Amino acid sequence: MPDTTPAATAPHYVIIGVGVSGSQAAAELRDHDRTARITIITASRLPFYQRYDLPRVFNGVHDWRTFMVHQPGYYSDNRITLRRDTRVGGIDAKNRLLHLTHKETVHYDKLLVASGGRPYVPEHLVDYRRLMFGWGSFEDAMAVRQALPDGGHALLLGGDMIGLDLARTLIATGHRVTLVAGEHSFWPHQVPATERPKYLAALQALGLELLEEGDLGGIVAVEQSVAGLPARRVVFGDGSDLHGDVVMPFFGLAPQVEFMAGAGPDIERGLLVQRSLRTTDEHIYAAGNVCQIWSEKDRRYKFYNGWKNVRLMGSVAAANMTGGSDEFRSNPDAEALRLDDQGRIQSPFWEYQ
Amino acid sequence: MSPATTDHGGKGAMTATDIQIAICGSAGDGTIAAGNILRNALATAGYRVISFDVYPPEIRGFGKCISRLRITTEQAYSLKEKSDCLISLDDSHTIPHVGEVRDFGAVIFEAKPVAQVPEGGHITAHVRPGQIPYGFSIREISEQATSSNRSRNVVALAIMAGLFGLDKGPFRQTIDSTFGKKNKKVAEVNLDAFETGYAVGAATFKLDSVKFGPPGKSVRQGKVTILSGNAATVRGLLDAGIDCYFGYPITPATSIMERLAVEMPKRGKRLLQTEDEISAIAATVGAGYAGARAATATSGPGLALMMEMLGLGTIAEVPAVVLVSQRGGPSTGMPTKTEQSDLNAAVYGSHGDSPRIVIAPTNVEGCYRCAGKAFEMAEAYQTPVIVLLDLYLSNRYETVVLANEAPFNPDCNKRWRRTERDEVYRRFAASDDQISARAIPGDEGGMHVVTGLEHNELGRPNDTPEIHTAMSVKRHDKLKAALRHPDFTICKRFGDDGPIDVGLLGWGSTFGECLEAMFMARAEGIRCAAMKVVMLSPFPADPVAEFMDDCKAVLVPELNFQGQFARLVQAELARPVVPLAKVSCGPMRVEDIVEEIRRLAAQVHQPLAAE
Repeated sequence: MPDTTPAATAPHYVIIGVGVSGSQAAAELRDHDRTARITIITASRLPFYQRYDLPRVFNGVHDWRTFMVHQPGYYSDNRITLRRDTRVGGIDAKNRLLHLTHKETVHYDKLLVASGGRPYVPEHLVDYRRLMFGWGSFEDAMAVRQALPDGGHALLLGGDMIGLDLARTLIATGHRVTLVAGEHSFWPHQVPATERPKYLAALQALGLELLEEGDLGGIVAVEQSVAGLPARRVVFGDGSDLHGDVVMPFFGLAPQVEFMAGAGPDIERGLLVQRSLRTTDEHIYAAGNVCQIWSEKDRRYKFYNGWKNVRLMGSVAAANMTGGSDEFRSNPDAEALRLDDQGRIQSPFWEYQ
Repeated sequence: MSPATTDHGGKGAMTATDIQIAICGSAGDGTIAAGNILRNALATAGYRVISFDVYPPEIRGFGKCISRLRITTEQAYSLKEKSDCLISLDDSHTIPHVGEVRDFGAVIFEAKPVAQVPEGGHITAHVRPGQIPYGFSIREISEQATSSNRSRNVVALAIMAGLFGLDKGPFRQTIDSTFGKKNKKVAEVNLDAFETGYAVGAATFKLDSVKFGPPGKSVRQGKVTILSGNAATVRGLLDAGIDCYFGYPITPATSIMERLAVEMPKRGKRLLQTEDEISAIAATVGAGYAGARAATATSGPGLALMMEMLGLGTIAEVPAVVLVSQRGGPSTGMPTKTEQSDLNAAVYGSHGDSPRIVIAPTNVEGCYRCAGKAFEMAEAYQTPVIVLLDLYLSNRYETVVLANEAPFNPDCNKRWRRTERDEVYRRFAASDDQISARAIPGDEGGMHVVTGLEHNELGRPNDTPEIHTAMSVKRHDKLKAALRHPDFTICKRFGDDGPIDVGLLGWGSTFGECLEAMFMARAEGIRCAAMKVVMLSPFPADPVAEFMDDCKAVLVPELNFQGQFARLVQAELARPVVPLAKVSCGPMRVEDIVEEIRRLAAQVHQPLAAE
């Protein structure tokens, strides 16, 4: 059996983020290089778990371990150092150093930024963030579960595919859901205006109550309700309002790249990468919702979402970090939104493993 | 209660609460202080607590301190192998202990250290994937709450209390009483630190699987207190009516003298710190000769110095109580590490044939009983009695239930009274039980000679073979009665009745681990029982042999290299045992015992190889 003990000279691959792309990359890095040091750094307190499954908290699944993708022994078996509750404060790309906020410096040979995205909140709603519930983590999910009474009323703003997935579960578990639809509805899918009505109708057929933000003059405020009414009130530009137990923004994801500012690699909204997923720094790669990938066809950098794309990015990045020359090719299926024969919405975004 | 008893009770259903918390830091971080607060608060709340601190020999600025506490609602007998929560006050010391936390347990640490951390030097690089990391700005919280970072230990403790939803009341009460004694302002500052830390912990989303249930009913009722082994020993000495104490400080026995120095003057009793251990034992034997209940306490090096005078106590038949808290040896050895390696010295030490009584408690409550009973035995059998403790027992705290009335006989002397005017007092006269009636200086007509030389019945020097033989028999045989000493358990069997696969013979502090191991083995279906042996000399040969008759294999776990107790058993009974002798600088690992039980159980069931 070959000696797989990391040698002093073994390369150190550092991955920021323990989502689908980061975890996929770690697994494939180990496959490509049996002796390398592999470190995953994440701000999360949990190891890799299935975020796509979070709506199940409304089906009575309240133990995060149910969502865990790997047993704890997986990391030691594969000699992957998992550093949780750890934040990257900045990167010294010239010296290939990560500066962690707890005053530790970590050297890397190749870095993969797979820090993902956080729920995007439009600027006019940022001030109301503390009155809204996020949906980015297990902790968020449990907080919503606690705040939303049985049969309670959830107000979903925007309506990206993450939110619509949750809406399906909420309705199935006896909750009332009102969607305030807008330009971000169905994100990351881009629905032509002509087809939008039929998709909205399909949502209504699911049981969602539907309001068009544009018809109401836009959302102007989220407030705490007065006693006796559901906990939150959404105020619209036309003076109307809507009460609900929880308000949740679902406007898509914003890439988490703040710690990369000034590090060197080009950033637009996300980290800009070639189809090899390499950034403008030869030692830094990016994968997942944090990066914009060059599209020759569209002649611009694009985000590619959905678990299939994100996982593929992890594989491509790992191959190229270890000397490969793979290219990311988006799976067309991963971007298609459609209605099936029975008029139900089908999205690859929802079809995760 | 008969001297040798049997307890058929096993552990009942899974305890509602069985949580172990470890706090680790550097000397000076307040690690032990935090452990003390936690221990007292949870005992006040009504939980049972076993705790044990490990600290370096240096006073400050060096070395590692760890305070481990096991909190239960049912009786526990030792610390657990794995902790449920680890609080780090200093990562450099804590990192080697991260692996002691179970999967889905909690690791609480400083997220914003002051100084630069070398690569891999932060605890986040070492927290196992199954454990839950909780990084907090402990120093900042302390500074914001108290304008000082000195309350980091209290903040860290408070975060843990908030995270686990523990009742604040007992913590506030404990902090107030701990710091308020010195300075009310200090207490207020620490209460502020506690409140702030508690709020941070309570606001943190809990991801670990550590759950505190309500305190058990049985603990809430009755006279419950929390004591260290040494504190219980002191209480036993006081309740048994100690008159004089002579001692010289030595770790880990020093706190016995410190506590007595506070308590004895209040009761009109005398304590003297002598210039060394030789003086201490000489004064103790002298006071015993004068009729006082006298004691001294020491550790292995001090016991070595006391050997000659112990021999005097034996030949002069003078009562004396010597408490020996063992530590790692030989010589100065490891003063802050526990060991059970002074058994040979205690049982066989001193020159000549020098029999004495040696008893070894197995838990904190036992320390209380043995300390008090030692006075009874010393008087009743007119001989030195050694109470063999060890650092693990001396320093560990347990929730104990003490009787309302002291269970000790205040006078066990077989006193001589002149009945006829011209009666000649024979201090060492033969009798059926070989215990001579004793006069103490000042008793009318009781004048006699006492010497370290071999002597006749009158106490006058005599070295004829007849006298030496008779006196040797007397000094040995009279101790046999100690095996039937009233209200004293010389040994006790736990676990399965009847024939068993593996029997554990345990003594001293290690017996707690033996019991835990036995429960685990039984849970695995192994027929197993454990016998604690409290009286090591004279050896309770009959009940131990009876126990061994039931065992296909006998395992003797102990904390010394030579297997001293195993050798004692083999020498006394001429029967084989399997020693499990460890010098691990800490308590015996329960898992090590269980592994050996499994091995032996498999062995005894193995069919004999075909010829």
